[in-house]
Amino acid sequence: MPAIEDIPETVFQDTVSRAVHRVFSTMLGRSAVLEPIDSLTPPDATELEHPHVVGTVGFIGSINGLIYLYLAVPFAQECASHLLGMNTAQLAKAGDEAVNDAIGEITNMTVGTFKNQLSDRGFPCRLTIPSILRCSRISIKPMSSATRRIYRFKIGSHILTADLLMQTGE
Amino acid sequence: MRYKLLTVDDSKTVRIIVQKAFKLFDCEVIEAYNGVEGLALASKESPDVILLDVTMPVMDGIEMLTKLKSDPVLKSIPVVMLTAEGGKDSVVKVAKIGVRDFIVKPFKEDLLIQKVGRIIDLKPITDTPTKVRSVFDPATVLIVEDKPAIYAQIQDGLKHTPWDIQCVSTTGEAIDACGRSTIDLMMISLSLPDEAAFTLFRVLRANLKTKYTPIFGLVVKTDAAAQQLAQQVGFTGLATKPLDMSELEAKISRAMNLDTSERYFRNDQDTLVMSLPENCGLAVMNEVATHLKSKISEAVDSGINKAVFDLHEVRRLDMNLIKFLLSAMQSCREVSLHFSLVGSGAIVTECRAYEDTRSWHFYETLEEARASFLNI
Repeated sequence: MPAIEDIPETVFQDTVSRAVHRVFSTMLGRSAVLEPIDSLTPPDATELEHPHVVGTVGFIGSINGLIYLYLAVPFAQECASHLLGMNTAQLAKAGDEAVNDAIGEITNMTVGTFKNQLSDRGFPCRLTIPSILRCSRISIKPMSSATRRIYRFKIGSHILTADLLMQTGE
Repeated sequence: MRYKLLTVDDSKTVRIIVQKAFKLFDCEVIEAYNGVEGLALASKESPDVILLDVTMPVMDGIEMLTKLKSDPVLKSIPVVMLTAEGGKDSVVKVAKIGVRDFIVKPFKEDLLIQKVGRIIDLKPITDTPTKVRSVFDPATVLIVEDKPAIYAQIQDGLKHTPWDIQCVSTTGEAIDACGRSTIDLMMISLSLPDEAAFTLFRVLRANLKTKYTPIFGLVVKTDAAAQQLAQQVGFTGLATKPLDMSELEAKISRAMNLDTSERYFRNDQDTLVMSLPENCGLAVMNEVATHLKSKISEAVDSGINKAVFDLHEVRRLDMNLIKFLLSAMQSCREVSLHFSLVGSGAIVTECRAYEDTRSWHFYETLEEARASFLNI
């Protein structure tokens, strides 16, 4: 089994792009376009200045990792509204809990699609339960042994940032 | 028979999506948050199908499935995995324990309905006794037509109805539209290239969501071959071009099983009022006639003893209308319901030309007609 460092950059990029595109087109009828940014540069805190909903799901196995999906609050609300079939008033009544759960599920599906592709390439792993952060000006500092990749997608007028942290597992 | 479907998922979002997917079917969806709750509900409710996630707190889907399959009472319940854990290894592991099907998230609602529909005989909820839909209720009609003029004609001709008339020009767009929302009736042009109308018809009938949707073929009156083929494959009906919009409206109402009586009959205080529209063709007459006796009975039953036949919108009198009115008057006499007529000057003049109608007395307004009953 190749070490994580031996996996070409294009594999991560293609795998995460396919996962984001598949989830957003299937569940929300939206297309996701990968933005041409340097995937090694962490997101600038000023880019994430406004309140964000951040979904996190991990995967454990021959690769251990975490993927964070950053969505600005209005985008998160729009996704939740579509997914749950609720209008703005109904979503407001359902509260942040409903938005958190919807973003948790979107993250779960995205990370699941990503890790299923890794599993089929000979890196079996399993998913962890999603968790949600709500924050502004977030900055994540991974351990130095972790491989990190950042991808940004344009979805309609919104931006989705995917932050991947991985290291070789069992 | 109302089927029970148990969804076991820690995500409320997924449980809501499952509820949404099956809300149009005669199927009760019950929910569990994890494997422990799932097993308890499976024992208590005996569901017909279980939709099961893998990654959940407390007890995951693999453990629940293993316990379910080792329980002699519960092991026969079909399980469909609905999970983001879709790698080959996971699928093989779960398949060994025994599942009926496997859906990997993300998923479309249609796929979910299709897979569950292979296990239980899902029927649209309209097949069960519910409130009859009225002609004044909103409905969505989808036109699949590549000629904008026909779409414009239909939209214009039905603009007075509460129906949302949508149009697409290709079969692909039609399938997408059916996936996005619930279509109450479809009209497909039989002249789409490569017999696409017939291919689309078969696709729609194979899909549980559109299996029972009324589908009309839009066809030129003289194209007998296409009409025959449409009837053979099972189209609900035909709308022939050039289109007679009042006839088409009546056909759509019938196909959607709408109660059209409110369009013609109303109880106004102590009087049953039957209002006939401007274009009183044979299709309209037949439609009014189907409601006449029941409406008179209902009125009498509720204590009403007066009726007004309001013809002030009717432009001309013909033999069909005269026959219908004579029959309506006879029905009123049979139950001792007093009646009077409202009509325009033109109608009054036309009545004088026929032996049967010469003696009919018309009032100019509904108020005058109602006032005439004071002398009874």
